[in-house]
Amino acid sequence: MPLDASLLVQMLLGALLGLSVYLPLRAGQLSLATPGFYAIGGYTAALLSTRFPALAGDGALYPLPSLLLELVLAALIAGALALAIGGPVLKLKGIYLAIATIALVEILRVLNLNLGFTGGATGLFAIPQPFEGPVGYLLLSLAVLALVCWLCARLERLRLGRAMEAIREDELAAACMGLDTARVKLLSFLFSALVAAVAGVISAHFLNTWNARQGSFDASITTLAFVVFGGSRTWLGPVVGGLALTALPELLRPVGDLRLVVYGLVILLGPILFPQGLITPELLRRLRWPFRQTSAEAPAP
Amino acid sequence: MDHLLQLLVNGLSSGAVYALFALGYTLVFSVLGVINFAHGAVFTLGAYFTYLLIGGAVGANGLLAGLQLPFTLPFPLALLLAGVGAAAVSLLVEAAAFRPLRRRGADPLLALISSLGAGVILVNLLQLLVGAESYAIPTSALGTLPAAVSLGGAQVRTVQLLLMAIAALVVVVLTLWLERSRGGKALQAVAEDPTTARLLGINSDRMVQLAFGVSGFLAGVAGGLVGLSVSIAGPYFGIGYGLKGLGVLVLGGLGSVPGAVLGGLIVGLAEALVPADYSGFKDAVAYAFLFAVLLLRPRGLLGRPTITKV
Amino acid sequence: MIGARALGLVALLAALTGCGPGADTKPLNLSAGLPVGAALSLTGNANVYGQDQQIGLRLAQESVKGPGGKPVALRLEDGGSDEQSATSAFNLLIEGGAIALIGPTLSQQAFAADPIAQRRGVPVVAPSNTASGIPEIGSFISRVSAQSSVIAPLSIAKALELHPGIKRAAVFYAHDDAYSTSETTIFQKALSAKGLPPVTVQRTQLNDQDFQNQITAALRLKPDLIVLSLQAVDGGNLIRQLRELGYRGVIVVGNGMNTPNIYPICQKHCDGILIAQAYSPELDTPANREFVRRYKAAKGGAIPPQLTAQAFTALQVISEAADRLDRRQPLAKLNLRSARAALNSELLSGRYQTPLGEIGFTADGEVVQKQFFVAQVRMAPGGRTGRFALLN
Repeated sequence: MPLDASLLVQMLLGALLGLSVYLPLRAGQLSLATPGFYAIGGYTAALLSTRFPALAGDGALYPLPSLLLELVLAALIAGALALAIGGPVLKLKGIYLAIATIALVEILRVLNLNLGFTGGATGLFAIPQPFEGPVGYLLLSLAVLALVCWLCARLERLRLGRAMEAIREDELAAACMGLDTARVKLLSFLFSALVAAVAGVISAHFLNTWNARQGSFDASITTLAFVVFGGSRTWLGPVVGGLALTALPELLRPVGDLRLVVYGLVILLGPILFPQGLITPELLRRLRWPFRQTSAEAPAP
Repeated sequence: MDHLLQLLVNGLSSGAVYALFALGYTLVFSVLGVINFAHGAVFTLGAYFTYLLIGGAVGANGLLAGLQLPFTLPFPLALLLAGVGAAAVSLLVEAAAFRPLRRRGADPLLALISSLGAGVILVNLLQLLVGAESYAIPTSALGTLPAAVSLGGAQVRTVQLLLMAIAALVVVVLTLWLERSRGGKALQAVAEDPTTARLLGINSDRMVQLAFGVSGFLAGVAGGLVGLSVSIAGPYFGIGYGLKGLGVLVLGGLGSVPGAVLGGLIVGLAEALVPADYSGFKDAVAYAFLFAVLLLRPRGLLGRPTITKV
Repeated sequence: MIGARALGLVALLAALTGCGPGADTKPLNLSAGLPVGAALSLTGNANVYGQDQQIGLRLAQESVKGPGGKPVALRLEDGGSDEQSATSAFNLLIEGGAIALIGPTLSQQAFAADPIAQRRGVPVVAPSNTASGIPEIGSFISRVSAQSSVIAPLSIAKALELHPGIKRAAVFYAHDDAYSTSETTIFQKALSAKGLPPVTVQRTQLNDQDFQNQITAALRLKPDLIVLSLQAVDGGNLIRQLRELGYRGVIVVGNGMNTPNIYPICQKHCDGILIAQAYSPELDTPANREFVRRYKAAKGGAIPPQLTAQAFTALQVISEAADRLDRRQPLAKLNLRSARAALNSELLSGRYQTPLGEIGFTADGEVVQKQFFVAQVRMAPGGRTGRFALLN
């Protein structure tokens, strides 16, 4: 049974990264900066927990308040960076934004390799553990994912969410209607950075080690695949896509040598067979999913 | 002065490879408005095809271990045929990953992911067949040419000169073909305005195939040339070039042939001019440059402002 | 309603993960042979190493016997080239009841996966991790791959002995590769100790192919010794470009290039380079003669690379230790947890006649290897194949 607690944690982290790509995409912005913010989260956690003995406490386990501190600090750093670069970068459109954000991820990766305190190519290791085993991580990531999902579901009913939707449909029209499109886009970029940084913090502890390989171009594309595969019209899409595509290579182990060929085949066929992704708002309506977002039925805010 | 010349030559020769790579991306983008993520895999296949056609043997791993073709072709012929082979693979990628989506007029983002899947399949199949060893096209393919020549005090490897010459030739031929021939003009018409092109009786499906074929050919030739000048570093080796090529493509401006060339040369030169003590930052320089250019010119250096796809 | 669904989800997840550490108290299953797990990089960027290691494990499985003279039941999983895949493979193998693990291929992966084995009390023998700090991960972690700290200075000393006139040394290393960065510091220290502080240190990247910028920068300083800490492909390319651009001096390379995979890359230009080896195919001991014979028979006369010999050694060490242990205290009577613990201490206390020569372990799990080698590459005419000729 390859679906053990440890794989489930990786799947939940995949779902979080999927949501991080989804949030700007909701406002029509194809940002692939997620792995960059994820790396910032990971390095923050790895540095704090391995370089500051005061945080490690006296017990066998790494104290949860220290973990909370890492989460807050990582969110602050990632958020500040997102606000700083978001303004100029979000003026770019479509594929140009995508490539500019990939460039950002690569610049961060090279910096992380070259800056002395990040441990260079070997990275940082012996990261202390806040939990006895994977089940602790499972509960933590489940709680974080549930919180982010709940916020996303709320967002879809709020003014801000509708503004994002409007920009996605037609940015020019949205601006003409008096929406502050720059601010809405920046907020969606900020949310994306926060979610990725939080995932990075959990991931660094879970992986026991952190290095510059963790936030790369490959990750940019894989996380985008989560969203396209799962569906980009509702928050449940990237969650399902992240869970499924993270688990897939592991579930395919019985296939043996052809494992990654089959994985490639699934990625190839996914968009062709499900152009809207696996999860669409129509599907949810048919299944009478309680979080559905049709604004007509939503109670007035 | 010698030193500066040396840096310029180094930069231009690595820029030539980037440019060849980006040209293939740009042809497909100009017609479909999509980036073909399987392009790096096609490039890799071109390198392996060239290696096999000049009589190279597959290593000790993989299903085809020890395979060697019963004939040996001279390098120029092998390179051309490898380009044709790569073009065929590129057409296959188009048929599998792009055509079904195009028929439905789907979001270009989908083709990006399905072509990524096609690339994953190609690379992993290649590994199953030939293993993960590295190869290089023997220097004897160059005949009796000297290993390096001196140009006004700068030392240049002969293979690099050859590579620059072929890259220049490719750009000239490609430009002439696009500007002068019926096929090239039709391709440009489709890129400018698919609807009008259809009204003029141009079969846009055929044009897309043409773009993929030419793009695959360019990738295959680039792969073979890199295999000669450096090596074929296993089935994954096109991926690094793919990422760099993407940066080059955007720097020059999506869909622009001169842009791809300019972008390639600029990135090559910028990397060459990084002081030796900071060579660890080389990759970041290319992307920092790209980042800065995008902020100043949101459509790249020579990008056309009319593209609204994606 | 939302709350109810969320609770259901939690219950489902809890049910899925129900199969916890309870498996450890089950008896050790020896029915198919000694259950050993291996996680190697069969896919991803490191696949070329995993491929060499896989052959080593296969050969060891054919030739060494576990407890009771039965062959080892080896389960090989793809550890990918990333940390997540290695972690998953380790979990899978541990749950599958492996008594000991071999792998993962890369040091960075080891820093992620080894702590899991350590917490579960499963012995790990690393066949290729050379970064500092691997055995220190915990009491259950050991390695048969010697660090360059011993090997690298030997080759510098040899170069200076052969070419006493050397005055100016230049150093190259891949700054994004864990092996290269740790080995180059050792090389640089060894050079300084000999009164030759490097005139330049050039950084490259693992996936770089074109090194003309770094080479021309270095050659302007007129070095007569160039020391490389690189892997097979980037190192082979760099050597070829060095020679083509006119460098005629001495080249010393580190342990990462100790593989015949360099021949097709630098071709005739490989000739004459000095290399520090943790394994020499020319070592004349019964264990190595037998290993080389088996490799040649399986691979059409080819010479085995270091990674293959080290992977072979890892499985040999595990099965010999298990056999010794079994004679003293039958393994079949132990539960999995105590069998793993007993095997670990047995493993660390033994000495082994391997293709690498005689080896043992420190209490920490660091390999203690008797012989290291300095070899010179001699290419056959035509520059397609060659050999690592031992220098003594």
